[in-house]
Amino acid sequence: MSAAAVPRLRVNWLGLALPAGLLLALELWLRLSNITTESLAPPSEVFVTLLENLANGRLPAATLKTLTGAFGGLLMGGIPGLLLGIAFALVPALDRAMEVTIEALRPIPSVALLPVALMVFGFGYGMEFAIVGKSCFFMMLILTRAAVRGVEPRLREVSRVLRLSKPAMVWKIILPAILPRLFVAFRLGASLALVVSVTIEIAVNPQGLGYEIMTAREALRPDLMLACFIWIGLVGLGLNAGLLLAQRKLFGRAALAGEGVK
Amino acid sequence: MKKSLAFALAGGLTALAMSPALAQKIRIGCTSSADCGTAMVAADNGIFEKMGLDVEMTRIALNSNIPPALLSNSLEIGGPTSSVFLQAADGGLDLVAVAGASYMHEASNEGTVAVIRDGVTIEKAADFAGKKVGVPGFGAYIHILFVRYLMENGVDPASVNLVETSFPSMPDVIRTGAVDAVLSGGPIVARILESKTGHLGPKFVSELGGDAPIIFYAATRDWATANPEAVQKFRAAIAEAAALIEADREVAIASVAKFTEQKPELVRATPPSKYKPEITADGLGWWLDLMKKQNLLQGSVDAANLLAP
Repeated sequence: MSAAAVPRLRVNWLGLALPAGLLLALELWLRLSNITTESLAPPSEVFVTLLENLANGRLPAATLKTLTGAFGGLLMGGIPGLLLGIAFALVPALDRAMEVTIEALRPIPSVALLPVALMVFGFGYGMEFAIVGKSCFFMMLILTRAAVRGVEPRLREVSRVLRLSKPAMVWKIILPAILPRLFVAFRLGASLALVVSVTIEIAVNPQGLGYEIMTAREALRPDLMLACFIWIGLVGLGLNAGLLLAQRKLFGRAALAGEGVK
Repeated sequence: MKKSLAFALAGGLTALAMSPALAQKIRIGCTSSADCGTAMVAADNGIFEKMGLDVEMTRIALNSNIPPALLSNSLEIGGPTSSVFLQAADGGLDLVAVAGASYMHEASNEGTVAVIRDGVTIEKAADFAGKKVGVPGFGAYIHILFVRYLMENGVDPASVNLVETSFPSMPDVIRTGAVDAVLSGGPIVARILESKTGHLGPKFVSELGGDAPIIFYAATRDWATANPEAVQKFRAAIAEAAALIEADREVAIASVAKFTEQKPELVRATPPSKYKPEITADGLGWWLDLMKKQNLLQGSVDAANLLAP
């Protein structure tokens, strides 16, 4: 979805008809069929539980922990990934030397590292920073490398004519040129970080929204579990909308250039 | 910008590095079940406080996460099942049993059953052959006792198609016909029976009986050796809580409902756990023998060496 395609927020009433109809059907089915399940709850009950847990501060507190874990990991993994991505793109020899290592480590699923992370870091943010950081590191590295390689060659020629040093070229030419694409990478990284954070919390880490899902499931509270699902969806939606807005405000028309990276 | 980022990173790393130093309190980790009821009651009724212990209870999603959490100093004391503890000890993790928590007894043995999907006939061990059976965890408490039941009745465990099925999804897999039976206990059994999609099958635990520990309190050997006074106080608190529960079950129901966030009526409907504050080498030995027979342990673990002094 390009930024220019949604100039203002419009409610698509026709598009809402199908989900609303499905919710109504689910409500009627669960209420009328007298079914026993620990996985589903009537949508109205889920909605009330969601409001209750937002009001009593439980979900906001969990959200803060999940977002801290996600963004902490994004920064700790993303910044080194960004710096290395620039270095790899500017020094092809380095890129070639590291290729095997990077390609061997990159496919290891982050979640597979959880047992090791639990032993090393224990519960808490350390584990989340490490695992989320691993995921974001490689993503930022690869997207940054691609962005730098995509910089208009004439811009580099200009820097040579101006006899700019390498650091000056990175700071004055490369970084401004790749900034919109970097922001798209950051947006993608933020979604990835949120997904990985919640997964870690469901599997191991006793904090945040994932832990709330796990607890609700074990307490046989499908209403609370589904309320957490919906809330995570809303948080993700809000996060993306906020970052999209920031992207447009920060880069204006230049933001469009970054969309090609996706 | 660079500076502030550097500060943020440095601050984060310093906080991480300092976190173990802040751990003055005793963090106890248990799964969402009534087995650690004594610790829950001791925490809720000020027994730990009275003993001078600053305790924080943490819910752990998976029991098998408890040993690594103890090793990484995320928890000082945890409530692993006997099988999880012994497998961890067999794997080389230096853990010791600190105090007893829940024990197998008549009511809990009776309450751990096979629930059979309506339309399927399973009345004895031999009927399980060729059937698809949902177990809550491989190598876990219920699985080991079910394999014992099959072996004792001359049924090859490999002839039964066992699939891992979490407790909350059991009513659904029975209703949809994804499995022929589930091995379960507590409120899940009541839920399936209420929904009239399944009926009670063999009571595979009570048929052979047993009074071994289900879950007990464990710590790393290093922590237990370095904190003998805390261990003694913890044992005294657990013993007092066990006596309190013995006198009034409602105390346990309230604390278990609070810790697990299950509704009190749900906890009340579950067969009461039997709590004993002691843990002996014999109790651990019972599991060791059973697990060795099932090839679940590789090394030679000595039960007597697994108890905290």
